[in-house]
Amino acid sequence: MTKPKGTFFPLRPQPRKRGKIRLSSKLRSIQLIITLTFTAITVAVAVIVSIMLYGKFANTAEENANLNMQQIIEQVNYNLELYVKGMGSIFETAEKQITTSQSIDSPLLYERMDTLMSSREDLVSMAVFTPQGKYVVGTPGQSMRLNTQLESQSWFTTAKRTSEISYSAPHIQNLFKGRYTWVVSISKMIQYREKGELKTGVLLLDFNFRTIDELSRQVKLGKRGYAYILDPLGNIVYHPQQQLIYAGLKYENVEPVLEYAFRSYLDESTGEKRFITVRTLAQTGWKIVGVAYYDEIVTTKRDLNQFLSWFLAVVLVCVVAVSVFLSWLIASPIRKLERTVKQVGEGDLNTPINVSGAYEVEQLSKRFNMMLQRIRQLMDQIIYEQETKRKGELEVLQSQINPHFLYNTLNSVIRLAERGKTDEVVTMIQSLSKFFRISLSKGKNIITIQEELDHIRHYLVIQSFRFKNKFRYEITAQDEVLQYQTVKLILQPIVENALYHGIEMMPDEGLISISAELQDGLIIIRVSDNGLGMSVETMNVILSGGVKSVSGSGVGVRNVHERIGLYYGREYGLTFQSEIEEGTIVTIVFPARLAGEDMDEQKEETNR
Amino acid sequence: MRSIRFWLTLLLCGVLWISVSSCFNSSPAYINTSKTRNIHLIVKMNKGDYWNTVKLGAEAAAKEFNVKLTFKAPDSESDIDEQVGMVEDSIKEKADVIILAASSYMGLAQVVDQAAYYKIPVISVDAEVGSARVQAYVGSNGYEAGQKSAERLIQLLRGYGEIGIINFTNSSLNVDPGSTGSIDYGARDADEREKGFLNYAARYPNVKVVQISYTSSSTVEAETLTREMLEKHPNLRGIATLNEIASQGAAKVIQSLRLDNIKMVAFDSSPSMMESLQDGTVQATVIQNPFSNGYLAVKYAVEALEGATIPERVDTGTKLIDLENMLWPENQKLLFPFVR
Repeated sequence: MTKPKGTFFPLRPQPRKRGKIRLSSKLRSIQLIITLTFTAITVAVAVIVSIMLYGKFANTAEENANLNMQQIIEQVNYNLELYVKGMGSIFETAEKQITTSQSIDSPLLYERMDTLMSSREDLVSMAVFTPQGKYVVGTPGQSMRLNTQLESQSWFTTAKRTSEISYSAPHIQNLFKGRYTWVVSISKMIQYREKGELKTGVLLLDFNFRTIDELSRQVKLGKRGYAYILDPLGNIVYHPQQQLIYAGLKYENVEPVLEYAFRSYLDESTGEKRFITVRTLAQTGWKIVGVAYYDEIVTTKRDLNQFLSWFLAVVLVCVVAVSVFLSWLIASPIRKLERTVKQVGEGDLNTPINVSGAYEVEQLSKRFNMMLQRIRQLMDQIIYEQETKRKGELEVLQSQINPHFLYNTLNSVIRLAERGKTDEVVTMIQSLSKFFRISLSKGKNIITIQEELDHIRHYLVIQSFRFKNKFRYEITAQDEVLQYQTVKLILQPIVENALYHGIEMMPDEGLISISAELQDGLIIIRVSDNGLGMSVETMNVILSGGVKSVSGSGVGVRNVHERIGLYYGREYGLTFQSEIEEGTIVTIVFPARLAGEDMDEQKEETNR
Repeated sequence: MRSIRFWLTLLLCGVLWISVSSCFNSSPAYINTSKTRNIHLIVKMNKGDYWNTVKLGAEAAAKEFNVKLTFKAPDSESDIDEQVGMVEDSIKEKADVIILAASSYMGLAQVVDQAAYYKIPVISVDAEVGSARVQAYVGSNGYEAGQKSAERLIQLLRGYGEIGIINFTNSSLNVDPGSTGSIDYGARDADEREKGFLNYAARYPNVKVVQISYTSSSTVEAETLTREMLEKHPNLRGIATLNEIASQGAAKVIQSLRLDNIKMVAFDSSPSMMESLQDGTVQATVIQNPFSNGYLAVKYAVEALEGATIPERVDTGTKLIDLENMLWPENQKLLFPFVR
């Protein structure tokens, strides 16, 4: 009996063989699926929303920064325009005073010019020169230097060339003694009277960078951004790092600026992204150039970026936590159920299943528990039935050689032999021998009805010698019934019962009749006697084993009933009809089966 | 089971994080100015427009690169011991970088080595110092400047005559025996200029350098020296001065004596020198780039701290300025610092 366990317990789940399948099945666990799906979806949504928000906000922020910068530059432009206009009007006032004055060297004019000069701190000097470059009049208290080369200076040449007010590039004022200062000069050809004579000359007004510096310094374009001013020729009028540029240590890419009067663009010539905004002053043609560093303009963008990254991280962590918890909540009862069921599958039918959790899971566990209970019941029943069957068969085995019966029979034979009734002895011994042969039937449990009827006939022959013609018997059977199968030794206990309990005590001659017939696929065998009969009470307990025959051959009627029931099914077996003083009819009913039809039984027979 | 899930989650997180953060991030490539650095600038002297302009340049760079600049200078250019003491102080104060204009080529060498020993980088500006541990030199080429001066002066003298030179900080030959106890080999830039001048002048047999006087650092001393020189050499036709103070002193004497026949080539571009140039007292001046020197020295100091490789020698150039070209726009920008 070295059979593999698997086939021995076909219901038990087969052990899984490969680790790969194990892993993939783990990956398919509910908890993991829920966690991953939930996380993936939530994160995907969060990322998409974040990216959309980022794009939207970043765009707006950039636009705002750009607009803001343009407004700042616009403001500076406006202020500078006002300033330059103011300077222009001072220049015009001075011009008017000089032109209207009767004489250029009048003390009144001198005084007025002094007042004008002291009115503004950023005015450096004012003077009138002849077209030949000779000094005529100027701010009080200034004396000319030697070698000024003023004839070649741009303010002088421009004034001579045009009649408009002209603004010079920044230059060093080297005309008067004192400090050398950087100034912007306003100059124009004007007319003045000297000693009643009308003359032309160049009026010069120099102003320093104080106000321009102040105005430009207000510009805050981020941390590193700044604004600078260019004149129409591309000279830098003002720059926060003017000296660095003058010393050639810094470089400003002015070419693209010069081409446009009004422009905003992105410049990458220095290797860094910079926003350049250009506005132009109407009077001077100066260009206000705002420079803002792209990475500073987009600080909001970076902040936003940072915020969103953190936000996403937090969301991710939360989502993972929540989904792990949620999936655990769903999956853990199922997993518990699965473990319990596995235990049950491994054979421990007594495992109680008490899984609490979701409604469905609870129901499942309840139903499973009920199913398990039913299985346990059925198992118990099977065990009981098997036990009874074996016991019955053992009893039958024992009854095959009943020493008491053999002893009685042999006594009868001896008595017949003593009387010299040789023929009867022969019949007796023949019957006995055939009786035992069929009783044993090579150990088979199933025999044909023919054999069973023969068996009971031999039994009756033997018993009729013993009871000295106290009874008669008749056996009738349809021919077609004979070849059908039956559980062996079912008639003998019944007939024995009839003899010992029904007929033996009877004063008259008894009659035992046995008939077998086929009816609707059922074999019906009737054993009837005209003996004492029995009470309903006896009849009721006879099949549950309440009555025990002492003198019987050992195999009771109940044994017969149970064997038929176990072999053919509960619905088959014995039925009793009896009436006191009238007799008893025992009916045996079981399905008709031919030899070879009952494979299970055959197999079991051969296996044994 | 749990560990697999854990690693998967971690992996997911990581991938997500990288993908999100890589979308937007980019780091700027300019010099990091978030950290304040301590840079000590020690120059020869706390007077004079030249050093003031150097300081201006250094301050401009300090502002730009977030540097805490400590400016130190002795009262006199010849006060080597005090300058050595200042370097020692800076070492004690744990300066991040020391920028040094050495008053003496050899006199400061030892203390610079000491600074290098304490892992403080030293950058020399204007005047070199005799140490191999100096990271970089920012300044002009003194030899070339001397040659430019000589070339112009000889040109003005039409190739003949006596020339007197007024230089600064004594070289060892003329050391006054009791002045200092330490070894004094003179400032490197003064030596170089003188050498350049003399080497150029030597090409002209008719040109004779009759005297070289050394002034420490005061205009008054320079004036006296000039007067002495003029008395001693009545036939003197030209004077070359090799630094700002000497130039100012000599120009003053020439102007006050109205010596029109004496040609003078000065050095550096102080405003008073510009005036002298404009009124014709001085015919030409050799200028350097003090603003650039100061600015670049600080800038390279910051770069050196950042770990960048900096050039060993940065020549900021010299230029000869005369009346004719002083008002050219590009020269205006060099001559007159744009001070607000």
